[in-house]
Amino acid sequence: MAILEVKNLSIEFGGLKAVEDFNLSLEKGELIAIIGPNGAGKTTIFNMLTGIYPPSNGTIHLDGENLLGRKPFQFAQAGIARTFQNIRLFSNASVIDNVKMANTADSNENFFESILRTPGMVEKERQLDEHALELLSLFGLEGQADTIAKNLPYGAQRRLEIVRALMLNPKVLLLDEPVAGMITTELDEMAQLVKELREKHGQTIILIEHHMNFVMPIVDRIIVLNFGKTISEGTPAEIQKDPRVIEAYLGGGFHGNA
Amino acid sequence: MKNKLNSILPPVVLVLIYFLIQLLLSKKILNPYHIQILMFACVNIMLTVSLNIVNGFTGQFCIGHAGFMSLGAYGSAIITTMLFGGMKMDPNLRIPVFLLSLLVGGILAAIVGFLIGLPTLKIKGDYLAIVTLAFGEIVRSTLRLIEPIGAARGMIGIPKITNLAWMFFFVMITLYITRNFVYSRYGRASIAIRDNEIAADAMGINTTRYKVIAFVFAAFIAGVAGGLYAHLMTFIQPDSFSFVKSNELLVYLYAGGSGSITGSVLGALVLTIIPEALRFLGNLTNWRIVIYAVILVLIMLYKPSGLFGGKEISFLRINRDSFRKPFNKFNDPKLADKQNS
Repeated sequence: MAILEVKNLSIEFGGLKAVEDFNLSLEKGELIAIIGPNGAGKTTIFNMLTGIYPPSNGTIHLDGENLLGRKPFQFAQAGIARTFQNIRLFSNASVIDNVKMANTADSNENFFESILRTPGMVEKERQLDEHALELLSLFGLEGQADTIAKNLPYGAQRRLEIVRALMLNPKVLLLDEPVAGMITTELDEMAQLVKELREKHGQTIILIEHHMNFVMPIVDRIIVLNFGKTISEGTPAEIQKDPRVIEAYLGGGFHGNA
Repeated sequence: MKNKLNSILPPVVLVLIYFLIQLLLSKKILNPYHIQILMFACVNIMLTVSLNIVNGFTGQFCIGHAGFMSLGAYGSAIITTMLFGGMKMDPNLRIPVFLLSLLVGGILAAIVGFLIGLPTLKIKGDYLAIVTLAFGEIVRSTLRLIEPIGAARGMIGIPKITNLAWMFFFVMITLYITRNFVYSRYGRASIAIRDNEIAADAMGINTTRYKVIAFVFAAFIAGVAGGLYAHLMTFIQPDSFSFVKSNELLVYLYAGGSGSITGSVLGALVLTIIPEALRFLGNLTNWRIVIYAVILVLIMLYKPSGLFGGKEISFLRINRDSFRKPFNKFNDPKLADKQNS
């Protein structure tokens, strides 16, 4: 059974159909990409999948569970975690606190334990710390655990956002333009990391990206959007050949630079 | 070892300061008037630290904090005057009843905080500011109308129980639980909401819930501070808890540096003492409020984030090392090196 099942997802903003009849059936462990020109509705789909925009039509099922009508924090708790196109870190908190903040719903120490700082609470904090450091080390950030997030270099901030999302132990991870504004070497590094997440940890991932040379080599499937409609779907090789895609998105010819 | 020291040192320092003050008092260097000012400063410290939880750490904007203070003051004063006034009380029961009354005052403030916070904290933006402003005035106007508690004339004859030792004790407790709050998941959720509410929501944080918790917690501390104030003044009237009082607290908070407990303590302490200290000006006494205002303007011009914006002294900080088992470091020397650097 598919882990994420989306049917006929549509949304209108005052008569403008931003997304129309978006369908997606995502298997566990799959890595797919949603591509399309600016304004095609990619981030809008992410906003619907995380509960920020309630869709005007359609259904979202995660692991057979209907998520519609829930609040964004409940989408996250149910297992859909995301990163943002324009980085949204908790910028005045340390790197490790950023990660620990994503675990708030999972920790179960109560208020009085917390303000009295009981030994049980301290032990839970210690375990949480270890878990956070472990995740940070996956992305090479463990050395900067105590740095204030806003002082991190840009690329590291993007990676921290992914670590923070992973802290939720998500069933599906949504990455909104994870390499936007990165230079080529950083881009290769990120491609490697995303691949590892998927191969070593079996993470199910949906990507939004413009960099074709980042997307093409690592994903299983691509969904192409234009003006809110799905115009093509298939493996990277199929997509590259599809004349509709070339016309709508890649323009005259695909040279690997979007 | 260092952490052990850190947790023992603050109470020790406070006790030493207490004895130093007693010594200065017996040598007539300090007089009861000075002690009175210091106790007012302590009440203001508690209020400012609690306001900091809402305004500084959670990023909401409460401008009616004196309302919670008045609820605590009246709540506890009603209990103690009723019990101590009519009948002969066993003197041994004086302190337990006093403490109980403070607790009731705090809980009263917390309940009202919950009722105000729940509908308003759901809404994003500046609504909380307007609602809390109105709330403070509603409490004040209502208290002015209730005849049994003296209406606008105020309540008199409240037993004087609060002394410097009690004040120090409660300031200590306030700082301790506030620090622990900040370094728990509750504090982290609050800071996440302050820094980026959309991201906090997307990370599974029930933002309304954590905002309400922070708000109620702050209201409770303010209520207890109000109770202490009532038993220090022995006289309270609704107009002592007007918007002017809330405003003072905001000034202490932002001058000290919002988001820093140290800043709140210093802001409240220094700014309570300055106007009194400036009384030596003699003929120029009328100018002291002007000087006070100029000092505030200078702080805001040269240190807009407040004296301690975002910084904490080590007593009020919890380092991650304090609860990390040492073997981690030995397991991964590279990691340990990086963290130590």
